[in-house]
Amino acid sequence: MEKDLFEIYQPSQLQSPSLIVAWQTHDVGKLSSKVIHFLNEKLGSQKIAEIKPSGFFPLGGAVFKDNLTQVPESKFWACQKSNLLIFNSEEPKYEWYKFLTAVLDFAEHYCQAKELYTISARPSLTAHTTPRGILAVYNQPEFQKILHGYGLENMTWEGPPAISSYLLWAAERRDIPGVSLWPEIPFYLATREDPSATKLILSFLDSRFNLGLDLGELDPEIRNQYESIARLRRENAEIDRYINRLESGLSLNEEEQVKLAQEIYELLEERG
Amino acid sequence: MGIKLFKEPKLKNPELFCGWPGIGNIGLIAIDTLKEVLMAEEFAEIEPWDFFYPEKVSIKDGLLKELEFPSNKFYYQRLKNRDVIFFIGEKQPTEGERMYATGEKAYQIANLVLDVAEKFGCHRVYTSGACVSPVHHTMKPRVVSVLSSDKLAEEVTTYPNTILISEMGSRETEGVITGLNGLLLAVAKNRGLESICLMGEISDWLSASPFPYPKASKAVLEVFANILGIRIDLTVLDEMTAQIEGVIEKIYEGFPSEIRERYDQRKFVAQAKPGGITEQDARWIKEHINGLFKKGGEQGGERSV
Repeated sequence: MEKDLFEIYQPSQLQSPSLIVAWQTHDVGKLSSKVIHFLNEKLGSQKIAEIKPSGFFPLGGAVFKDNLTQVPESKFWACQKSNLLIFNSEEPKYEWYKFLTAVLDFAEHYCQAKELYTISARPSLTAHTTPRGILAVYNQPEFQKILHGYGLENMTWEGPPAISSYLLWAAERRDIPGVSLWPEIPFYLATREDPSATKLILSFLDSRFNLGLDLGELDPEIRNQYESIARLRRENAEIDRYINRLESGLSLNEEEQVKLAQEIYELLEERG
Repeated sequence: MGIKLFKEPKLKNPELFCGWPGIGNIGLIAIDTLKEVLMAEEFAEIEPWDFFYPEKVSIKDGLLKELEFPSNKFYYQRLKNRDVIFFIGEKQPTEGERMYATGEKAYQIANLVLDVAEKFGCHRVYTSGACVSPVHHTMKPRVVSVLSSDKLAEEVTTYPNTILISEMGSRETEGVITGLNGLLLAVAKNRGLESICLMGEISDWLSASPFPYPKASKAVLEVFANILGIRIDLTVLDEMTAQIEGVIEKIYEGFPSEIRERYDQRKFVAQAKPGGITEQDARWIKEHINGLFKKGGEQGGERSV
């Protein structure tokens, strides 16, 4: 393990934990950040280390968004009572392989992590009212068998890889079993929040790790979002027609997709 | 960061031929064709992940099957009078959005290539690329050489259709061979290896084209065949050249007739500086060339090429 890459705040007390990795970059439906925030808050996670940004992120200045400076963060959190190691980070801009090696080095050599879960989301042409599933990618067939029964659906895909796939591949080279979790998020919620998808992932983690989470507190948020969109549908026949079509399994053309996404974006912005 | 050797062939003073992508992929096509014709056998590769991002993932029924990176492979063949090693790099490692290798990564990969070459007793390195020149596109491209030492000049000028870069007339006496096809020469020279870069001529206005330029690759390949004392069937390159020439002619027809008239004077003069056309002509070509390439590519069937 290349120690210069890390800032270590406290020793890990974890015993062969499961590693959960979430990326803040391309955070569709703000799923990753919401899930990690929820877990850290409810499980009382402690920040134990971080990967230093130098060499991985552009440091020629500070990026700001919504009046706030954004700092590239790559932090490890330990949840003692549930034996979870959580890594939450921006995707590095440079040196992906070195960065992912650092993540796995820390997890494997410092915490003896035994398995890997990555959390991402993919925008989908589905309606928010349609029951959604979690697509999964495994790096070992044995691990796929172990997770059979959790209601995950198998993904099939060929194309440019996401960083989660790269991490999964790197983990397999060390014989660390892993799975990437990809809940579907209606495309018109991709730039906003999707509390239903957040709850879906948290339910899986709760069930897998016996976390004892009270997920009922997400329900008012889900209900509010449904009600806001339902109100918009009553007021705007065009939007209602678009969502109806998605609910019937039909698609929308590009112009219709943009219109729907725009309306929902503005609606949820007003709602705050 | 490493090299994976699949086997360790016993080679006698092999010579290394390296190809990376570049303008018109002239060098890459020449060296890859030579490797194919000689049925060279793969024996090593540079592990790509320190240099490249994966380009494709294959996931089937929930299982991650494969992550594909640009390949960087070594091949060898034993010929009657000498042994050869080929290195083919599918991509140049960059530290940004540029096409050509720059920075620390480029230097590292150049050294890894030469580590393998020296491990097998290599003493000479050939690279190849493009020499952008004011030649008329219908002329046979010459092969322009840059060497690691003056001692090689005598030998190189015996190669057919080959000149030293200084013989290009009033061309600047200093210049840069961009990317790894150039950098490798420098690193090889530092290690005391003989190195020769053989560049196929390509017309200045074609240097930004998005398609390959096999006519120049063929010119380089003819020189390689001469160096190795072998005969090569170049039918494949001839077919490819015929297709590309068709595309180029269609694009050329899009030039205003007065520019074409002046440009055609290049057929009759051995040019050293952009000639036959005026500065205004050059400006017109520069401003319109991308559109013409696009149009020519669509009409001429770039895909089939």
